[in-house]
Amino acid sequence: MIASYIGEFLVIFGTIFYLLSTLGLIRMPDVYNRMQTATKSATLGSLGVIVGTGVWAIDHVGSYAWLPKTIVIAVFLLLTNPISAHALIRAAYKSGIPLWEGSVVDRYKEALGAENKEGGEE
Amino acid sequence: MLKRAFAIITLLFIGLWMASALSGVDFGADRMLVGKYYLNNVMMETGAVNTVTAVVVNYRGFDTLGEVTVLFIASTGVGALLWRRKKERTARTEGSVVLKTGARILLPFIMLFGAYIFIHGHLTPGGGFPGGATIATAFLMLYLAFTSYEIEHRVFEPLEGLAGMGYVTVGLIGLAIGGYFLFDWIWQTWGWGHGNIGRLFSAGFIPVIYTLIGLKVGTELTGIVDNMVKEEVSE
Repeated sequence: MIASYIGEFLVIFGTIFYLLSTLGLIRMPDVYNRMQTATKSATLGSLGVIVGTGVWAIDHVGSYAWLPKTIVIAVFLLLTNPISAHALIRAAYKSGIPLWEGSVVDRYKEALGAENKEGGEE
Repeated sequence: MLKRAFAIITLLFIGLWMASALSGVDFGADRMLVGKYYLNNVMMETGAVNTVTAVVVNYRGFDTLGEVTVLFIASTGVGALLWRRKKERTARTEGSVVLKTGARILLPFIMLFGAYIFIHGHLTPGGGFPGGATIATAFLMLYLAFTSYEIEHRVFEPLEGLAGMGYVTVGLIGLAIGGYFLFDWIWQTWGWGHGNIGRLFSAGFIPVIYTLIGLKVGTELTGIVDNMVKEEVSE
C-alpha cells in the first residue's frame, strides 16, 4: 500500500521535472542555459520516473523484480547523462557558439588566452 | 519550386495509395495463420521463451544466416572501399578528462550489458544483433574519447571469421545429425535442457548461436568504425 503511494509520488515528481525541463528548453536564451535546464532536470525527472515505476510495481504488480532493474537503469543514467552533457557543451563552446549577450564573465576564454600567450602550444 | 511541388504531390499520391490499400485491413484483427503455430509450439519444439528469437534462429534460420552475410559483406565492402596502404588515426583533439574517465569507467559495464543481451537471447528481448551492436558501441566510445586508441586487429578479424564459421558449423552439424541445415541437435537429439525451460541453460542451440552472432556483429561493426575513422597518411 505504502509502496504504491511512494511510487506514484515519485512518478509524478519526475513528470513535473520533465515538464520543467521542457519549459526550460523553450524559455532559456542560449545553448548553455538550455543545456543546463535540459540535462539537470531531465536527469532528475528520469530518476524519479524510473525508480518510481520500480517501487510502484511492488504493490501494483506484486513483483520485486522490477526494482533492481530500474535501479540499475537509473544508476546508468545518472552516470552517463552528465558526461554527455559535458561533452555536448564543450563541443558547443569549441565550435564557437557565443554566450548569451547578458553574460558577465567568461573565465574559460581568459584561461585559454593566457595559455596561448604563455606556452604557445596547441 | 516546380520540382518540389511535383515531389510533394507524388508523395501524397503514394501515401494515399498505401493508405487505401491498408484501410482494408482492420486493425487488431486476428489474422494469424503461421503465427498461431509458432506461439503454440515454440516452447515444446525449441525450448525458448522468447518466440521472436526462436523464429529467427530456429524456424527461419536461413534469414539470420543471410543477415549475418549481409553484415559481413558490408564490413568487407567498407574495408575494400577505404583500403589504403598506410592508415592512421588523424584525430586532432583528445577528449576532455571527464569524457576519458567516463569512457574508461563505463566500458566494462557496456561490454557486460552487451554480453548479457546476446547470452539471454532466448529469455529476454534482444539477441545477437542488439548485443553485438552494444559491444560495438563500447568500442566506438573508446574511439571517440581517445585519439590514439586502436583495436587489436590480429584478434578482431580472426574472431569475426571464426564466429561466422562457428555459426555455419553448428548448422552443418545439424545437417549431419538431423538431415537439414540448422537442425537444432542440442534440443531435438540430445534433449539437453528439456527440464528447465525458462532458465539460462535451455533452448537448445539458440544461446550458442546468439553468442557467436553477438561476437561477430560486435567485431564487425567495430571494424567498420575502425575503417571509417582512419585516414591515409602520406610518407
